[in-house]
Amino acid sequence: MKGRSTIIGFTCVILLSALTFVSCKKDKDDEDGSDFDKASLLTNLADNIILPALNDFSNKINDLETSYSVFRANRTAPNLEDVRVKWKAAYLSWQKVKTFDFGPIRDYGFKGATGTYPTDTVKINDNITNGGYNLATAANVDAIGLPSLDYFLYRVDALNYFIGNDPYATYAYDVIQKLKSETTVIVSAWNSYKSTFVNSTGTESTSAFSLLVNEFCRDYELAKNSKLGIPLGKQSLGIQLPEYIEARRSGYSFEIQEASVANLANIFNGGSGMGFDDYLVSIDRSSLASSISTRFSEIISKIDSFSGTLEEEMSTNVSELDNLYTLYQGQVVSIKTDMSSAFGVLITYQDNDGD
Amino acid sequence: MIDVKRIQNYFSFFKETNIAPLIVFRIIFGALMLFGVSRFLLKGWVQQLYIDPQFYFGYLGFEWVKPLDGNLMYLPFVLMLISAIGIIFGLFYRFSAALFFICFTYVELLDKSNYLNHYYFVSLMSFLMVLVPANRKFSIDCLLFPKIKTDTTFQWHIGIIKFQLAIVYVFAGIAKLNSDWLIEAQPLRTWLQAHHNLPIVGPYLQESWSAYLFSWFGCIYDLFIVFFLLSNRFRPFAYSAVVFFHIVTWYLFPIGVFPWVMIFSTLIFFSVNFHERILSFLGKVFGARRNAGATSKPLKKNAVINYLLIVYISVQLLIPFRYVLYPGDLFWNEEGFRFSWRVMLMHKEGHATFYLHDKKTGRESEIDNSQFLTKTQEDQMATQPDMILQYAKMLKNHFDGKTLVYGDHSFEIKDPAIYAKIYVSLNGRPSQLFVDKKQDLSLLPYNLYHRNWLEPFKK
Repeated sequence: MKGRSTIIGFTCVILLSALTFVSCKKDKDDEDGSDFDKASLLTNLADNIILPALNDFSNKINDLETSYSVFRANRTAPNLEDVRVKWKAAYLSWQKVKTFDFGPIRDYGFKGATGTYPTDTVKINDNITNGGYNLATAANVDAIGLPSLDYFLYRVDALNYFIGNDPYATYAYDVIQKLKSETTVIVSAWNSYKSTFVNSTGTESTSAFSLLVNEFCRDYELAKNSKLGIPLGKQSLGIQLPEYIEARRSGYSFEIQEASVANLANIFNGGSGMGFDDYLVSIDRSSLASSISTRFSEIISKIDSFSGTLEEEMSTNVSELDNLYTLYQGQVVSIKTDMSSAFGVLITYQDNDGD
Repeated sequence: MIDVKRIQNYFSFFKETNIAPLIVFRIIFGALMLFGVSRFLLKGWVQQLYIDPQFYFGYLGFEWVKPLDGNLMYLPFVLMLISAIGIIFGLFYRFSAALFFICFTYVELLDKSNYLNHYYFVSLMSFLMVLVPANRKFSIDCLLFPKIKTDTTFQWHIGIIKFQLAIVYVFAGIAKLNSDWLIEAQPLRTWLQAHHNLPIVGPYLQESWSAYLFSWFGCIYDLFIVFFLLSNRFRPFAYSAVVFFHIVTWYLFPIGVFPWVMIFSTLIFFSVNFHERILSFLGKVFGARRNAGATSKPLKKNAVINYLLIVYISVQLLIPFRYVLYPGDLFWNEEGFRFSWRVMLMHKEGHATFYLHDKKTGRESEIDNSQFLTKTQEDQMATQPDMILQYAKMLKNHFDGKTLVYGDHSFEIKDPAIYAKIYVSLNGRPSQLFVDKKQDLSLLPYNLYHRNWLEPFKK
């Protein structure tokens, strides 16, 4: 009996000291008023960033389709030029959509179908020659989408390939039609997914919030690696791989890269509403929030500072591209490690006991 | 102060006692394992964890344990299902328990990326189940071999199970006696605030005081719950606390079946009478005949077992303290971290960039980790020094002797160096450099000695 009362006594002492300790500590922390709400963040992103981005992309794809139909009926240089303008606008708009690779975009494989590069020109020409192609197969994922049009619209002597070559013009038309019909599906699917999205605030790896954070990190790494590091030779012993440059023929790779990073910065800041930065501030990590924000601006202005295309700069200005790459690298740790861990977001589906 | 007689009683390993608690525990353990393994299979984790990966992080000294080819990896899991059923019904019990122990431990030894304290617990528990005669009542074995039937068993058969449960709780409690847990209320502060959208309690989980409340309550619970479970007077309250505590953790954290394992396993602390009633209830359900009292020959006391038990108990008591043999911060260096019941204790995330360095040309490539590791493996590797070394050595083996062709350039890689730059964030702190790009990791020794190549931890 005595043993028990000792234990109870001991426990009481500890409990009491714990309570005292907690009440002392509370005064200090109380001012931060942490009343952040993930649901508001998700609502803001859905209403002010994701859905507008999807609608914009849908409009741009419709414009592209219209201009291409005009061009297909009348294959002239000015008409081609108009298609090029519309294609570029769609490609830049796509950068604001591709980050959200979860929900309907993931379910329909929309990201792969729209943006896979480098495009396989041999496959495209085989498809055209053989006819009877099915653009929806997994094997054709690098023979469709916006990157395939970079080849059609900007290859050397592009116009002459179209003239008098209906199967060729039809292939590009089929690619655009596929983009258009899939975009329509995604836009309507997202409108019904929205309510699931804004309410999925849990910590499990399948919650919309976790998916958003993970895809945000992944898209940032894609900007760093696929849009810059790989062509620059960062994964190939320093040997440059220009064939991996995005939109190599049109030479818009810097603009696309900038649009991608600007979109990530916009998500981070929540546009003019609640974003990841506000969440960080609410959990006492404001210096992290401002350093990430600053770094985004630095990356964007660095990209701005290049006057040539990525391919041109790769042959003349490697050291500045290396500096840009270093800027990207410094940010990876802040986003993937500091930010994600501060949010308490999980990356795996398995059980976990916190070690 | 201390009830000496009671303590002495715990150490009377060969005193005879009613076998009912052991029988009930056998059924519970078997059922939990059946549930756990089925869940693992249904979630598709066999494919994800033991078929998909190209590389496995074996345990030091157990690297010879390799996965079976492709879908053959389902075999140990199917055997676990069958043997768990054997355990529940007490059918060829020792064989079933041994088969379960071997299959489970085999799977766990394959890859330390999947290490969980509760898997270690199951391995130990299934090992103990092989040693105890949990089939000597209320089992199919008793029908097949009536001679084994008995109403009593040695006290250690039940005591060792209580001991193992006590080890889990008490050491989990001791592990929480650190400044991050008690003074910063981390990692719970990070984990709890993430639940701020829960109805009713959500907003409170953002508050500092709730992080302290959970941390301190959890620590006190772990340290003392076993002693209250041992007491007849406090057991009902203690068990309510067990149920409450584990259901809360199950609800808030992704810890799988572990809460249920603990909720049901701790029933072993209940009285003989309680277990007799469960058995008679189950007897009615299964329409078992009320057998005449057991007449089996008395159990023989075995001195060897006596010593083995003392060795097992000592090892269990010492292993969690092995970290004191290492200098530096335990959470940062993770030397002596596993197999020590450090549950829910830290939130560690890292980002690792590995570099392949060709000595001949001085050229360097960044490694895309996703080409070699699964997401889970990469995540675990980035913060655990022994896995960082294993991965570096694996990369070296992979590239050594390979010819890499990029455009017109071709490189014959011979004896490459592997560097890494790794940042880690621990328990809510800003990330710090964990491994610097200054040493060829593939040349560093992989053993149990202190690792002096990590960057020092700044609190």
